[in-house]
Amino acid sequence: MSRVAAAADATPARARGLARVRTGALTTHLLSLLVLLLWMAVSYVLPDYLMPSPWVVARQVARQLTTPAFLVHAGLSVWHITASIAVAMVMGMALALLSHFVPATRLAINGRLNPFLSSFSTVGWIFLSIIWFGVNEVTVIFVVAATLLPFSLSNLRAGLQELDRETIEMSRSFSRSRLKVVAMVLAPLMVPYIFATLRICLGVAWKVVLTAELFGGTSGLGYLIARARADFDTVAIFAMIVIIVMFVYLSDKFLIEPIQLRLRRNYAIS
Amino acid sequence: MRSAEGRARAWWSTSFSERLIADGLVLLALAGWFVMSRSMPSYLFPDIPAVARAMASLLFDPAFATHTAASVGRIVLSITLALLLGGVLALIPRYVPAANEFIHERVKPVLNSFPSVGWALLGSIWFGVSDLAVIFIQVAILAPFALINISEGLREMDADNQEMAHSFSRRRTSIFTLVIFPMLYPYIVAALRIAYGVAWKVSLVSELFGAQTGLGYLLMDAQGKGRIDLVFAICLAIVVFYVVGEKLIVDPLSRRYRGGQ
Repeated sequence: MSRVAAAADATPARARGLARVRTGALTTHLLSLLVLLLWMAVSYVLPDYLMPSPWVVARQVARQLTTPAFLVHAGLSVWHITASIAVAMVMGMALALLSHFVPATRLAINGRLNPFLSSFSTVGWIFLSIIWFGVNEVTVIFVVAATLLPFSLSNLRAGLQELDRETIEMSRSFSRSRLKVVAMVLAPLMVPYIFATLRICLGVAWKVVLTAELFGGTSGLGYLIARARADFDTVAIFAMIVIIVMFVYLSDKFLIEPIQLRLRRNYAIS
Repeated sequence: MRSAEGRARAWWSTSFSERLIADGLVLLALAGWFVMSRSMPSYLFPDIPAVARAMASLLFDPAFATHTAASVGRIVLSITLALLLGGVLALIPRYVPAANEFIHERVKPVLNSFPSVGWALLGSIWFGVSDLAVIFIQVAILAPFALINISEGLREMDADNQEMAHSFSRRRTSIFTLVIFPMLYPYIVAALRIAYGVAWKVSLVSELFGAQTGLGYLLMDAQGKGRIDLVFAICLAIVVFYVVGEKLIVDPLSRRYRGGQ
């Protein structure tokens, strides 16, 4: 909107745009600083167990990041996420392909199974699987995979629908073998959609895995949060939240976004 | 969504076998449940009538219905507040362009990657066990969805239309109510739809930590007392509430916009 206004103006838009970028960055840093100052001010008034100061939290972050036990639990969380995303992707893909190629199952999968799964609450899965499997890794992975399945199913299905019909028709004219068409044409065409689905799953998985580990796990960051909560260790809770926010933000910005950008360029998707 | 006529046509055009398989799947699931409840002890897998009775009690037994009402009330209030908060955050860069980067590069990513359990714990630490804690937790979790959708709407907005609006009136309030808000409406409804779906799931988490009432509290209580039929009933009741609310409230709201087009 502001860009439109600048372009409509007769004054050298470029110089003004640059100036705007610079004031924008300045305001951003100032506002971020303001938030930090506000946090400090509040932490002076309130006791540590309600609102620890940024310095205490920063020290705790550093301490936790250098503690081997913490890193092991973080690694276990990553393992839970990886395993459940793999399960959800494979099942989602199988169901999406089934509903795509066997039209008779379309309503059953997209009209019955998917709405049911997507409206089933995560906490419901947690409580049911604690009853069925007990408090262990199986529960954590089951809960996260069950929560992710509707996401992967809907997104992969959308990807299959978006695929270029003409390309597939052409591939059919080259070969009637369905397996060949899937392996050589469909699968490569699906790569960007699969990746986009992975990204969505990853974002959801991070949030869900903590809840699942907190109630139904014996390892992972969610378990550590549950322990910190039992000890009323607010500083540790703050530190873990900061670490998780940082990790998710950095991995999204420096790992996933570049890959997606590259895929988009290679596949010429806008 | 689709009009009634379109839906009827879709219903007729879905093949007989498709409906057979879909309804067969539901029957198969019920049959599977029946077999499981027969072969497994009732504390692992309750039978269908017990769960149906428990579901009915959630609505009609006053002792349980108050919990249901508490959850519904909180969800309505938190969605409203989250949409307002997300809308205000999304609108700030429009009127204060310098804040654009702060909102989209700082506030949004932090809110977006903040774990819900983190909000749940902070809410219960700050506000104790209270309605305020539950509503704080839900609003904090829902706000980024509203922010993302409404700012997407603002980005897609037609610049020509706005220029025209400017040429008719310089008054910001009338431009907002007559041009910007109607153009944003579909995005607000989209935000509402997403927030509504997330809210039902999140309400349980927030009530587990911050409440003495509500379905989340009831769920924990039921599990503690070994009332597995009630645990099943609450899980299924939420699926039903979700679908009913979407059909009765969210769908009509989004159709209303279509009608005006």
